[in-house]
Amino acid sequence: MRIRALTAVLATFASAAAFAAVSVDNATRELPIDPTGTVLVSNAYGSIDVVGTDENKVSVTVQRIINGADDAAVAAGKDSIDTLFEGDPRVRLIKTIYPSVRDPRWSAIVNCTIRVPRTVSVKIVGGAMDHIRVAQILGNVTINAFSGTIILSNVGGASAVDTVNGRVIFDYPQRPTANVRVHAVNADIDVYAPRDSAFQWVAETLTGELLSTFDIRGLFTGNIYKGHANSAGGPTLTTSSLAGRVSLLAKGTPPTQARRFAQTVRSNERGGGAMPATRKIQIPFIYQQLWGFEANVADVAVGEIHGSAHIETGAGEVDIGVVWGNLIVNSGGGPLKFGDLLKPVDVHTDAGDVTIRVARQGGSASTDGGIIRVLYAGGPMTLRSGGGDIVVQQTAAPIDAVTTSGDISLTVSPTVKTQKMTAKTSQGNVALVVSPTFAADIDALVITGDADANTIRSDFNLTIRREAYNGKTRIRATGKINGGGERIELVAEDGSINISSQVIAPMVISNPRQ
Amino acid sequence: MSECDFMRESMPMLLTESLDPVRREHTHQHIEHCTACSDDWTAYQETWRVLEELPVVEVPARVKDRFLAQIAPPATLPSNVVPFTRRPALKWIAQAAAVVVIAGGSYFTGHRTKPVEIQRTPAQVTSVTPIGAPQSQFSIAESRVLPASLINPNIEGRPDIENVQFERASTNDEQITLAFDITSRVTVTGRPTDKSMVRLMRYVLENEDRLGPSRSRAIDWVKTTYSRPGNADPEIATALANVLRNDEHQGVRIKAVETLKTLQPSVGVSAADTRDALIEALKSDPNPAVRIKAVEALANLARTGAPLDTETLNTLRLKAGQDDENVYVRMKAAEALSNVKP
Repeated sequence: MRIRALTAVLATFASAAAFAAVSVDNATRELPIDPTGTVLVSNAYGSIDVVGTDENKVSVTVQRIINGADDAAVAAGKDSIDTLFEGDPRVRLIKTIYPSVRDPRWSAIVNCTIRVPRTVSVKIVGGAMDHIRVAQILGNVTINAFSGTIILSNVGGASAVDTVNGRVIFDYPQRPTANVRVHAVNADIDVYAPRDSAFQWVAETLTGELLSTFDIRGLFTGNIYKGHANSAGGPTLTTSSLAGRVSLLAKGTPPTQARRFAQTVRSNERGGGAMPATRKIQIPFIYQQLWGFEANVADVAVGEIHGSAHIETGAGEVDIGVVWGNLIVNSGGGPLKFGDLLKPVDVHTDAGDVTIRVARQGGSASTDGGIIRVLYAGGPMTLRSGGGDIVVQQTAAPIDAVTTSGDISLTVSPTVKTQKMTAKTSQGNVALVVSPTFAADIDALVITGDADANTIRSDFNLTIRREAYNGKTRIRATGKINGGGERIELVAEDGSINISSQVIAPMVISNPRQ
Repeated sequence: MSECDFMRESMPMLLTESLDPVRREHTHQHIEHCTACSDDWTAYQETWRVLEELPVVEVPARVKDRFLAQIAPPATLPSNVVPFTRRPALKWIAQAAAVVVIAGGSYFTGHRTKPVEIQRTPAQVTSVTPIGAPQSQFSIAESRVLPASLINPNIEGRPDIENVQFERASTNDEQITLAFDITSRVTVTGRPTDKSMVRLMRYVLENEDRLGPSRSRAIDWVKTTYSRPGNADPEIATALANVLRNDEHQGVRIKAVETLKTLQPSVGVSAADTRDALIEALKSDPNPAVRIKAVEALANLARTGAPLDTETLNTLRLKAGQDDENVYVRMKAAEALSNVKP
């Protein structure tokens, strides 16, 4: 039975393979060109090889490979893909045309091999390529692609490469004599040059590495390293990859000897030295009186810090479980997430949400844009958002919450009989929930252009006044609840205020294990 | 002219108290002694009373303007024009004449017209059409509870929906409840995937101005309801995309983009619409949190293998290389690009 089933499966695959079709065809074209002319090549899928020669013409060989489900699909692919030859001897354009909407029945790549006079300038636009190779060209070279390996070999003129993914390789058999600019998002950049080359090196990476076997002398300015090899002067090699590795290697030296240029991560946990630039730092436990961590770009995840911590990141996520001491975090961007914070905290991010499960002794949390969520505040807290909600699920201490735009929601612990609270939003609603026995002096103010939609609702008996103010309506509710107490100030512009009295279950916070 | 005729002519002026004292006294004495004139005087008084009870009709502005234009005196009167002098006595006479005409006309009409009589004909039932279920009567009530199946998915016009509240109708989360004020309190109950419920939710999300304060709560609720597997609906994604594009509150936009991030990727027009809204937010929203969540949502799309169009790729590429953009946004853009499979 098994053999029969296996035979059936094999037969099915064999028949499917028998129906699948592949078509490979070639076309050749020769075009005259001026020695100082420009060759433009555009191809979205496949490869491009441009080689400089001593001839005064452009020789193009186009290989079209089409895979289809059947012959009809291949025929459809052939009809859909074409290569255009346009221009004049000053500018030659070789462009492969693909249909704007892909037909799932077939796929195709086009491999272009182009021989040009070595003195011409070359401009290439590629998509998802297997490779782009330019060799023995003395004119300027410009390449813009999405992915694939880009190889520039023995290019004498100025060159510029812009790509996203893949790899960029510069190979200089002779000393570089013209400026180079490579800009990549995720691609690695490798530059090979003779050991005695003299050039300026400007390199940048945010999460990747800068490596070199040259004797480079220079300095970091922010994320950018500027230095020179061998002697000052010479052309400038600008290599920038946001998330990729940049390496500058002298020919004849093994990459393992490359020196790392790192300014990106410092941690006093490892003796104050530089750590390799890593996207993610994960440490389960830190036993240290004060753990300092500084990173240009890194995601930081720490389970427990048995001591205080000071973290500075240019960007990245920060996720810390328990901190027994004080906590200071300053992030240039990225969400901050904290579990149980036993001592006062001071955390800030330029952009992103801030989530604190428990802030036993309060502190301050701020974001230039994002939501602030605090599950439990045991100490006074100052919360600031440049735009986003502020939510405190339960507080047993004073809260001072201000947001530029967003709702503020505060729930006061039933264990507190009176407490000072301030909540101000420039665009949004304020909701305050207290227990029926909570006592306070309420001062709530709504400033709105739509007095019907925005109003003050209260479960307590408050004195409400309305007045016109600068074309808007000011609704003010004041009064003492349960005989009066600490002052509660609530301000909502273009929003409502809701003060409600509910029976609240006190939050039970268990102590972390020492 | 007999004395009675003379007295009848004086009656309108007597009615308006325009007669001089001597003549007024004389007229009153005649009416007391003359039965015919006494009857006429009583009729005059009755008509005058009825006229007072008639509603005052506002003169249309157009007629008033035309009239004033006709009677307005020129700036300087020509020398041959004699100014018109008011004669109150004649005015009252004219009013009294009008009263007489109206009263006489009413009297004539009342006595000369007969009531129309309709011949009675017996009713006959020609055919009977049975109905399947009893017709539900429209109830006049302070609050009404309706199943979503009874709601037409097509919301006509722009009804003014206020005080929107969301609840779960049952513990198994299969039923949801949306309550709001329209002309009375209406509560609609149904499954989140019911078309009427989706349309109602979309209307609540997209309707501007008056729903502003409650929109953020609506988005919170949508997030918890429609992020569940099986509940995702393209119309909800479209509504959130519209909120992300149009709402002036940054806090609301943050919630909208965060909710879009949690919704399962949709297909078709809705997917393109969502993607366009995310790109727009990533390009130009002033709040960095919105841009972060937008780029994270696009990164999620790329991670799932969803094809990204050229516009999306270009925007991500632009953001990754934009020096003045927040580094975290740049990193997320790079991350999204690294997952793209062209």
